[in-house]
Amino acid sequence: MTTRSPEAPEAPGTPGGRAAGEPVLSVRGLSVRFRMRTGGDVAAVTDATFDVWPGECLALIGESGCGKSVLASALLGLLPANARTVGQALLAGPGGGPGDGLDLLAADERTLARTVRGRRIGLVPQSPAAHLTPVRTVRSQLHETLRELTGVWKAGIGKAGTGKAGSRKSGSRKAGLREAGEAAAARAAFPADHLDRHPHELSGGLAQRAATALALVGDAPLLLADEPTTGLDRDLVDRTADELRRHADAGHALLMITHDLAAAERIADRVAVMYAGRIVEIADATTFFGTRGPRHPYARGLLDALPERAFTPIPGMPPELGDLPPGCAFAARCPKATDACGTVPSPADGVACHHAEEDRTCSN
Amino acid sequence: MLELSRITAGYERRAPVVRDVSLSVAAGEAVGLLGPSGCGKSTLARVAALLHRPYSGTVVIDGSPAHGWRHRAPREQRTAFGVVFQQPRLSADPRMRLADLIAEPLRATGRREEAGGRVDELARRVGLSAELLRRRPHEVSDGQLQRACLARALVLRPRWLICDEMTAMLDASTTAALVAVVEEYREETGAGLLTVGHDRTLLGRWCDRTVRWEDLAGAAVTPTAD
Amino acid sequence: MAETVSGTARRAPRVPRPSVSGALVAAVVLVALLVPALVPLDEQAVDLGARLRPPSWSHPFGTDEVGRDLLLRCVYGLRVSLLVGVVAAFAATVVGTAVGALAGALGGWADRVVMRVVDLCSSVPHLLLGIFVVAMFRPGVWPVIVSVAFTHWLSTARIVRAEVLSLRSRPYIDAAVAGGSSRWRVTVRHLLPGVLPQAGLAAVLMVPHAIWHESALSFLGLGLPTHQASLGNMVQAARGSLLAGDWWPTLFPGLFIIVPTLAVAGLAATWRDRLNPRRRSEPTL
Repeated sequence: MTTRSPEAPEAPGTPGGRAAGEPVLSVRGLSVRFRMRTGGDVAAVTDATFDVWPGECLALIGESGCGKSVLASALLGLLPANARTVGQALLAGPGGGPGDGLDLLAADERTLARTVRGRRIGLVPQSPAAHLTPVRTVRSQLHETLRELTGVWKAGIGKAGTGKAGSRKSGSRKAGLREAGEAAAARAAFPADHLDRHPHELSGGLAQRAATALALVGDAPLLLADEPTTGLDRDLVDRTADELRRHADAGHALLMITHDLAAAERIADRVAVMYAGRIVEIADATTFFGTRGPRHPYARGLLDALPERAFTPIPGMPPELGDLPPGCAFAARCPKATDACGTVPSPADGVACHHAEEDRTCSN
Repeated sequence: MLELSRITAGYERRAPVVRDVSLSVAAGEAVGLLGPSGCGKSTLARVAALLHRPYSGTVVIDGSPAHGWRHRAPREQRTAFGVVFQQPRLSADPRMRLADLIAEPLRATGRREEAGGRVDELARRVGLSAELLRRRPHEVSDGQLQRACLARALVLRPRWLICDEMTAMLDASTTAALVAVVEEYREETGAGLLTVGHDRTLLGRWCDRTVRWEDLAGAAVTPTAD
Repeated sequence: MAETVSGTARRAPRVPRPSVSGALVAAVVLVALLVPALVPLDEQAVDLGARLRPPSWSHPFGTDEVGRDLLLRCVYGLRVSLLVGVVAAFAATVVGTAVGALAGALGGWADRVVMRVVDLCSSVPHLLLGIFVVAMFRPGVWPVIVSVAFTHWLSTARIVRAEVLSLRSRPYIDAAVAGGSSRWRVTVRHLLPGVLPQAGLAAVLMVPHAIWHESALSFLGLGLPTHQASLGNMVQAARGSLLAGDWWPTLFPGLFIIVPTLAVAGLAATWRDRLNPRRRSEPTL
């Protein structure tokens, strides 16, 4: 679906009323290879192509080890030294104009650190407890992030304590910082009376909100949530997911990486399924989780494994990313596999499969 | 019958995480214990598996009361339980190959000669290839490692299985596969199951009876069935 | 992160790199082992006609106050220092690991008693305790080794105990208990292999300590008999000539103490960095 999305920005499921001229993130042919000391290559991500639009949530789903987290690392420029990337990941400029787009894969570390992470991409981390500094209060961490990301206060710090005028000035700045901190907390629904607590004094849900508040400080147009619900119980999963949804509704583009199908079903507009490093299907979420269901046999199998559905596992295990079969990587586990599966299927109409279910939803 | 009565347990005597909780699992029954994270349900599971000594309360296993926990429990009582934990990475000795990991309980109980055949049989059951059995934990995925941990829990043919959030880190397909292995084993042997988790749908589908932690805490009566 | 990928990626950076400290340690060991075997000269040979000669071609390090060749004596002193350092560090590590593992594995009051004894011994300054031990024997290499080992096992015991305690709470130990492993088997098969890298590192870090300890004892006249070449003895004996402006009898033995200890410490630091999993580069997303 993504492949044809340029002419369909208002795809079903994209919140209406938001005239989104351009995707916030546009990934084309992204591949990541790890070179191993033993000489082999690990194909962690192969030829990923998708867009994320403002105001929508794209859920990237797949089992652990399918390469989805590597893809996130690649977008943030956080890959280890032995990784090589090909392709393009265009991040729309702050003004939304085509001129100031930035290719995340070509950008140098300095640009990524100074202008991208936190400012143009907000990261909602996997384990908030580990993401927060244990020895400092939530307020002080918010203030630090505010100072770092919004230049106004930074200048005030340098001048603080240089005479009476300076200190009065810095006093008002402090008040401003306090106000901004509380506003940032409110945006993530973090209760203001908990701001002076340390991370270990917070429940899992509040820690997640604190981490989300930090991710939102820079008001980045793209939010990247990496397994935001791992280890949370069902109620908390629902609440965390709903909050992320609210941020998408507020105009952020949200890329959520998860293996939690229930969380994806709850909030995603579109779903991208990853298997053995490739995106095998991108579909509208209501169709995907609805009665029509997914079109790729792997995605169908994944949904059938859910306890609320058939609860039957897909036979076998995914192949090693360092030792992929020549053809379709799913063929060995696929009930529909034929000789045709000896070649890698090219994505057509959002599905990469020789035997995809008929796209009965296709209306155009 | 596995009977836990009036258990109070925790890590600080003044603030126990489990207070006066009773729970019983009939022979061959599958009971799911449902609760939010950090509520103490894992501690109760550890008490049941004789891995954590409670401050007060009694555990009766098939009619014989437990007098000691961990190494103080007689070996026959300890090995009546197969235990699977939430995080496979932490539950596997990082230096052991998967085959040794699965065979370790047999070696530890002086049944070394059975190891070869039993490991092969269990590996087939949980879907681990001979090549994977030769690897060490850091060379396999979470899902593959949890498969090995489940095989280790079954290797001594326990009468009781205790699964503490066994599938919390796993994807849907691996979850379904591991639950199927547990159920197949229970069908063959009639083993009982106490599984702890926070996924209502999963426990409802898996177990004969689901018990909510809120209904257990503070109540010394028989748990209400869901 | 794909576990299989990170698993293999983790192994990638571990390419052995030749380090300066490694090369130095190798050189020091070679010198200490080979020179006395290849050079048929007596380090105790006195030449009263060549007293306190400055460094020259025939005596590269000069001579001491009774005309003995300082280069040769430094090499022999180095042999003694390395012998004391390695043997004492090894003994201290074995004792410390055994005591620490025992305390950690048993827990309860056994742990408390053992650790209070360790605290008590640690509260006395090392050198003082060491002097006490040496004073009970006739001067020689072995009393020095015993003295060093006796004062240095304490820190290893602490490290090993802490490590055992942290390993003991891992689920894989629970799994071993549920699998019927005896206390002994859990300790030997799961706990000890887990602490050995740390204990080994502690042993290497201890070698420089032991060398300094030996030198200090000898300097105080409590170590080896004064005629025997020992770096501490040599520095002690050179004090008088240093005041007279003759620097070489102090400088060269001093360097022979400092260089090997720094080299070993550097090697241990590299090893420690490699042991520390947080320094391994891996994508954590």
